[in-house]
Amino acid sequence: MKTAWLALVYVIIFGLSVYVYVTQLNRPDNDLHQRLLPVEIKKVTSGMTDYALQKIVYDAKNNGDVLSIAGMQHSQGGQTVYPNGLMIDMKPYNQVLEVNSQAKTVTVQSGATWADIQEAINPYGLSLKVSQSQNIFTVGGSLSVNAHGLDIRHGGITDTVLSMRFLNADGDIIQLSASENNELFYAVLGGYGLFGIILDVTFQLTDDELLETETASMSYSEYPAYFTKQVKGNPHAKMHLARISIAPDSFMEDMYTITYKSAHDQSELASYQKLKTENLVAVPKFFLGLSRINDAGKDSFWNAQKVYTQQINGNLVSRNNVMRSDSEFMEYDNSRKTEILQEYFVPVDQFEHYIPELKKVLEDHPDFNLLNVTIRYVEQNENAVLSYAKEDMFSLVLLINQGTDEKSVQATQDVVREMIDVTLAHDGSYYLPYFGYPTKKQMQIAYPKTEEFFELKERFDPEHRFMNLFYEEYQP
Amino acid sequence: MNYKRFIYYQGIVGMASSMIFPFYILLIRNVGDSYAQFGWAYGLFALTAALCYPIIGKYADRVGDKSLLAIYSWGMAILLLFFPLASEVWHVYVLQVLMGILGAVQKNSEKTILARYVTKEIAGAQIGRYHVWTSVAAAIAVIATGYLVDFLTIASIFYVASLIFAGSGIIVLKLQTIKQ
Repeated sequence: MKTAWLALVYVIIFGLSVYVYVTQLNRPDNDLHQRLLPVEIKKVTSGMTDYALQKIVYDAKNNGDVLSIAGMQHSQGGQTVYPNGLMIDMKPYNQVLEVNSQAKTVTVQSGATWADIQEAINPYGLSLKVSQSQNIFTVGGSLSVNAHGLDIRHGGITDTVLSMRFLNADGDIIQLSASENNELFYAVLGGYGLFGIILDVTFQLTDDELLETETASMSYSEYPAYFTKQVKGNPHAKMHLARISIAPDSFMEDMYTITYKSAHDQSELASYQKLKTENLVAVPKFFLGLSRINDAGKDSFWNAQKVYTQQINGNLVSRNNVMRSDSEFMEYDNSRKTEILQEYFVPVDQFEHYIPELKKVLEDHPDFNLLNVTIRYVEQNENAVLSYAKEDMFSLVLLINQGTDEKSVQATQDVVREMIDVTLAHDGSYYLPYFGYPTKKQMQIAYPKTEEFFELKERFDPEHRFMNLFYEEYQP
Repeated sequence: MNYKRFIYYQGIVGMASSMIFPFYILLIRNVGDSYAQFGWAYGLFALTAALCYPIIGKYADRVGDKSLLAIYSWGMAILLLFFPLASEVWHVYVLQVLMGILGAVQKNSEKTILARYVTKEIAGAQIGRYHVWTSVAAAIAVIATGYLVDFLTIASIFYVASLIFAGSGIIVLKLQTIKQ
């Protein structure tokens, strides 16, 4: 009898549990995934013939399929995916086709990473003019987001592209360069994969050289003058980055800078040319982990960064090695939280007024978990239709830790929109590859040629063969 | 309690608990925030167990092994029904504390029964044999569960394990009735 009662109670609880689980907890997650996943992923391999590549577009045309293009897929605004579309994975299409040491050029397939290029050109004593700070990204991806890096002397990444072969929405392979089909050329650079597939690219290179690290620390108000005189004004300075404090003790006040200058004695270059591999992941990972937790963690992360920076002052390093920043320590694995990036551009002469206002926005939102702000320089460059460098600007990359639940997303969106408003009020702009927090209106102000961009899309891909969520979000 | 029956019973509960333990991590991954929280979840389990052993030990001799095993079986059967519903880290912590208590009940009873039924002279062989069968059951359970999670959801294994625990609970109670 006792057993029967017990069994009955058990069956009731069992039923209730299953009911609650099925009705309440099991649903939203699945829906979310189904919405975002493409139906099929097509791998493009390095040995594929032109015809095989064209066939992907022809087939999509015949079947009425929509294509999206993927490299490393680190863009956070859905630039590489489209619901129920066909995703073309370009990563295996990664051969370095030719290194011409005389002309100092390299031709690569678009799935190659910047690391692949560095490995191919380093033995020739050659170096990229401009690349993304982290070298894990594909060439096609970086060009499609019009990336920039540490170099302060060679303009934007678009200036270093001599030409490219391009598979357009009709399935034709055409040559693009500043002199050939240049309208499409400048739409594709920073075109977020909406015009077709970049097949291979020829880059202008420069010589690798030995650089000497020079570090300094200062307050943010001294920084623009320091940069203009000591960095930009010094022809030996080649690459530069800075960080502004996110630690409570010195929030948005303290900065440290790292400048790489041509070393006096270049004869030692050979002994520094071996490409470095990522080392000491554990140490930065530990400090970054601390800074995610609380303010004390942020203070210790900032202090550790400062000490480290002082230590590297005077170090010699090859240009190629400067262009291989560590990124592995930023890998972050968490089901409930995620890390997002934001990047704002503000004219050099506005920086001093901009920082206090940005600080105010951040202080108004104490829960906003800002982990790092890296500052770099971008020279005015309006090649790309969607160009962010309307004048000589500082770029601020913000690393933010946020929850993935609806409330946290909303909270982050509010802060991001506020920060962008402040940025726009200082004649700034923001970077497009990140999560779709900004409003359409903000995009139009930051990118005056937004309308032209979408018109070009209509002209070159009227059937919308190439699509992604970024387009969905920001189309007029 | 018949010693053979006891091995049979231990085989079943061993099966059910090893079903959930390795895969339990998957659930914490869905719910938890970080490796630190894994640490806490398992630490709480061990800590509560430690606090409970002295009390359980005292009661074991008074209320008898069978009652304690029944509490364990039914406790686990019901507790597991709450696992699929856990959606916050603190839910997992609470469940881990309760698991710690029940785990301590099981561990203590297992050893007291062995101590009471094993013949001292051949204790090695007997306990060895005992471990063979309970381990075989555990191994089968883990492998089979792997497939189960592949086909069903992680939640389903908690329900299946719960049913097995309920079955073991019935066995324990039956034993008692027969004896009476």
